[in-house]
Amino acid sequence: MIRRTIASLLLVSCLSACATGPTLTLLPSEEGKQGAVAVLEENGKPVDYVVTELNSSTNLSGRPKTRAINPDKLNARRLALLQALPPPPVRLRLYFQQGTTRLTPESQPGLDFLKKEVAERPGAEVQVTGHTDTVGKVEDNDVLSERRAEEVVKALADLGIEPALLTAVGRGEREPLEDKGDNYASPANRRVEVIVR
Amino acid sequence: MKRALLILSGVLLAAQPAWAEIARIKRATGVTSIERGAGRLTPSPGFQLQPGDVLVTGKDGQLSLTFIDDTRFSVGPNSRIAVDQFDYNRTTQAGAFVTRVDRGSLAVVSGQIAKSKRDAMKVRTPTSLLGVRGTRFIVEVPK
Repeated sequence: MIRRTIASLLLVSCLSACATGPTLTLLPSEEGKQGAVAVLEENGKPVDYVVTELNSSTNLSGRPKTRAINPDKLNARRLALLQALPPPPVRLRLYFQQGTTRLTPESQPGLDFLKKEVAERPGAEVQVTGHTDTVGKVEDNDVLSERRAEEVVKALADLGIEPALLTAVGRGEREPLEDKGDNYASPANRRVEVIVR
Repeated sequence: MKRALLILSGVLLAAQPAWAEIARIKRATGVTSIERGAGRLTPSPGFQLQPGDVLVTGKDGQLSLTFIDDTRFSVGPNSRIAVDQFDYNRTTQAGAFVTRVDRGSLAVVSGQIAKSKRDAMKVRTPTSLLGVRGTRFIVEVPK
């Protein structure tokens, strides 16, 4: 009887700690959303196994098996790993006055927000993409969208952000937020989209 | 003729932007290095990664990085992790991404590439191949 208890105790401790091979720990996204990871191959052979159970651990050698884990009791190693993930990139739209590279007054404070984000992110990268509405010629809008992006890059550099961190591209009128056909004056489409990573 | 073709293909290969930035290091603590070809570089915040780079950490080493498709990595101690493939089109936000975890630990929050097509992002371990379908996860490969 005692021997059996010891044997089962050993088995239990082994299940929790004897993960000798590679393992996968699946967690909810930071927004709590569902995700999945498929095991496509195991020891060189194709397998058909998809892990969808959040807060679970799956062995990655031998036949995959998934078991639940307590997300509040992650070990220190895993916790440290998750805490060291960089912050999610932030996105901001800045809007322009019609046909110009002048920001709308409402969008002006966005520049300071971006400066603050860059300052808080060591090793930051800032991608600025310009867009226009569909008023005027496609080629002219290509030029205008690029000028808008460059204008924002210049404004950010003037605020003290190192120019090497900034890139500007223009996409013209190709990616409207509000799609109402050609020659449509749209304040929503006269914008740059800034991503700080 | 054959030689001309060889030379031509060499030129075509050289024309690909193999030097393009794919990620930036956000944090590096302890002993860390980036293996690039035969070279060994020391990363610090802002260091730009290229396809084929191998992330290596020592006993107390840790690396954090963000890719240009918004994928985020955190690399734990005693790790060796190779970015074997990273193709990304910033305009269409589609691409292909293959990471190899030889040893150690890697936490991932996937980005645009994983969203672009089923299993466009893959992670290899010594025993398995994973297809990432948009999520947060940890892969551990004990020595």
